[in-house]
Amino acid sequence: MEIVALLLAALLTVALVLFVARPFLRPSAQESDRLEQPSATELERTRLLEERDRALAALKELEFDHRTGKVSDADYRELVGPLRRRAAETLRALEHKEGAERERHEADVRA
Amino acid sequence: MAKRRNPVRLVVALSVAAALAVFLLYTSFAGGATASLRPSQLAEHRGDEVSLAGRVVGPVTGDARGDGLRFTLRDIDGTATVPVVYTGSVPDLFKTGRHVYMKGELQSGTFVAEEDSLVTKCPSKYAPKES
Amino acid sequence: MPELGRAALVAALGLILYAALVGGYAALRGRRRLLDSAINALLAACAATGVASLVLLAALAGRDFSFEYVAEGTSRELPTGYTLAAFWSGQAGSLLLWLLVLTAAGSAAVALNRRLVREVLPWTVPIVAAVATFFALLLVFVASPFATQAAPADGAGMNPSLQNPYMMIHPPMLYLGYVGLTIPFAFAMAALASRQTDERWIVATRRWTLAAWTFLGFGILLGAKWAYEEVGWGGWYAWDPVENAALMPWLVATAFLHSVFVQEKKNMLRVWNVVLVAGAFGLALFGTFLTRSGVINSIHSFTQSSIGPWFLGFIAVVAGASIALILVRLPLLRARTRLESLVSREAAFLYNNLFLVAFALTILWGVVYPLVSEALRGVAVTVGAPYYEFFAVVFGLPLVLLMGIGPLVAWRRASLRSLGLSLLWPAGVALAVGLVLLALGAGSSPVGLVGYTFAAFVLAAIVLEFVRGTRARHGLGGVGWVGALTGLIARNRRRYGGYVVHAAIVLLLVGAVGIGGFSTTREAKLAPGETMQVGDYRLVYEGSDQRRGANALELRARLAVFRDGESLGALSAGKNRYLAEGETSNEVGIRTDWLRAEDLFVIADQFNADGTVFLEVLVNPLVNLIWLAGLVFVGGSLIAMWPDAREQRRLAQRFADGGALARA
Repeated sequence: MEIVALLLAALLTVALVLFVARPFLRPSAQESDRLEQPSATELERTRLLEERDRALAALKELEFDHRTGKVSDADYRELVGPLRRRAAETLRALEHKEGAERERHEADVRA
Repeated sequence: MAKRRNPVRLVVALSVAAALAVFLLYTSFAGGATASLRPSQLAEHRGDEVSLAGRVVGPVTGDARGDGLRFTLRDIDGTATVPVVYTGSVPDLFKTGRHVYMKGELQSGTFVAEEDSLVTKCPSKYAPKES
Repeated sequence: MPELGRAALVAALGLILYAALVGGYAALRGRRRLLDSAINALLAACAATGVASLVLLAALAGRDFSFEYVAEGTSRELPTGYTLAAFWSGQAGSLLLWLLVLTAAGSAAVALNRRLVREVLPWTVPIVAAVATFFALLLVFVASPFATQAAPADGAGMNPSLQNPYMMIHPPMLYLGYVGLTIPFAFAMAALASRQTDERWIVATRRWTLAAWTFLGFGILLGAKWAYEEVGWGGWYAWDPVENAALMPWLVATAFLHSVFVQEKKNMLRVWNVVLVAGAFGLALFGTFLTRSGVINSIHSFTQSSIGPWFLGFIAVVAGASIALILVRLPLLRARTRLESLVSREAAFLYNNLFLVAFALTILWGVVYPLVSEALRGVAVTVGAPYYEFFAVVFGLPLVLLMGIGPLVAWRRASLRSLGLSLLWPAGVALAVGLVLLALGAGSSPVGLVGYTFAAFVLAAIVLEFVRGTRARHGLGGVGWVGALTGLIARNRRRYGGYVVHAAIVLLLVGAVGIGGFSTTREAKLAPGETMQVGDYRLVYEGSDQRRGANALELRARLAVFRDGESLGALSAGKNRYLAEGETSNEVGIRTDWLRAEDLFVIADQFNADGTVFLEVLVNPLVNLIWLAGLVFVGGSLIAMWPDAREQRRLAQRFADGGALARA
């Protein structure tokens, strides 16, 4: 009984160690071993996307609240303007950013 | 952008202060917590209504639903004992050796417990085995 | 086979240490292959722990008493179900379960989120592994389930109060909750470590948190059902420290679930969210510590316990590290957005959080105060139910009110006038209900009456929400009423799932107030043939029987129940005497009237030598709403959790690697 247990334990250990070493034993599919940290532009882009989604969601929710009667007509008229402006701002910022990126990319390709 | 006084901070601070005040008051005065005595401390509180905690020592005789269940209670970590008479419902876990507490008062050397006030502390299933 | 188990645990410890150290290095230096290796190590640790678990299960199933753990927790006559459940009934086994669930959940969370949060992921692995290290260390060095002995003839048996179906699944449910809270904690700390201040970690762990919170809540209710049926004093929640141990993290997790809404919509409360998730996790560990270390019995049994001091040390380390990390990243987290108005949905969420956290803190104080008092002053103190019930009312009633007001208030700023109009209908319903109840005699418990009025208010508000939403969708055309309702729920799963959960809480409140404020009790000593009257019920004691059960002698008093002259059948209550364990347990008789949702609850307190029996009988109105609330709770949670294909696509697009244009 003991021998069986020890054999199983040994087999288990070998299998697990192999599994853990696997990333080093296989030929790597990726070029570099570095873990990419998001660049400043990526982080900025994510932030802008989040803000856009937030502004659009707020607008949608206001519409929904108005339709279900939670927000009165007067309140709706007061709130919708700033929200629409905010949403437009975020969309513009995103477009501007993507435009800048495109130009930079084309410049890189040409070089 | 001019820094506006943030109402959130004010709300939070006031709430925290209020809550703190309420429950500190409660635990200190209103009797949310009741102190329990040991058999060795009973002598000084003759005639007072107190909470008593200790370990059950046999023999356990009598009828809790009749004349009264009689047993002895000993200090958790000590040797002082006091005879107890109790009426009311007896918890399942009541047994000699168990840690119990109850309310009542010392009358002529015997602790007369308040009806239905006997509580056993759940022996933790994870505590070290008591010999 | 114990050698295999021990070896598997040692292997697990080694793998977890590898995952923690190598994973940490990989995150620090940005090494892909080392990180992949660390992730594999976490998975491998799960497999190793699985092997150890199988060994223990096999030993239990085979009643192998050469395992100390098996001998301590089972006996030959113990039914198979309970024998297998003995896996988690003792200390070492429950630690093993913790480790198994943690490594499984950790591996799954990492594997499933690989694409979504690749920046946060590197640090998540060492953090999960660090927590797992603690449990693995305990299992290998301090409390091993694989200690062996010369096999005795029979085991010591299982504590009779654990021999109950609800107690069988209560621990795994709680652990899924406790361990589940580790995942959002790890992701939150990882986000801080890698300087990510956006809501990525929240989005990735949203369903994990919701699932953990659901398991925890359901586990608490299972424990309450057990207490009601098995401990059988007539009540369902005793505010015992062990019960509170699970309630505290649940309350803080509830606060967290609400405040992440605010971060999502307004990008504020970011520091608060991180504090909450760390708090919930810390309290989960503290809860585990409270139930394991024996500290509740007395400081004495705590110091004698093998794992108490270890747990305390670990909690201190976790708390210290979390606080340090939050402080260091504080400048990054500080939001620039401010609360615009004290009358807005954001403000309602904020108040909700304050009450929930305040309640959790008062419970914490109630649990800790006796320990502190005994340690510092040597005076033994007990904090009883009145303390907790006071604060349950003081904090609970406003919370219930907020459940009704919150959904009716708009974001940002609500004019008091429009709020007043929205509240008019539910408030009217509440008032009407209150007056009717007062007429019916509910004034005997003023707090109960107020509670019921608030409950009516919230239910009316929820119904109003569903009605208005359905009407709005229907008004858009193209769908019938049913289609509008299902479409409404499908498109706003979190909101309407949340409303269902609120309804469940209200049901719970109604049931709790019913049994707490309006129950009737009678006691009597009956000889065979005698009757007693309790409320509407008349009970006749027919006699007592004793029979031999699977592992106990069962003594029962037979009763015939009547109401308004009509026979409602038989009921029996009594005691079980467990042979192997040498303990007696109370077995109450419960007759549930589903139509009235009330229980006739019989305790056979004492069987006397002269054939008489002392009975304590209660009528508990509405108590079954509490259990129904549990089911509604899970249902609502499932709705909120249900995967939403459109939302997933939108999020995946947001977090996709690089921009679409950069790849052109």
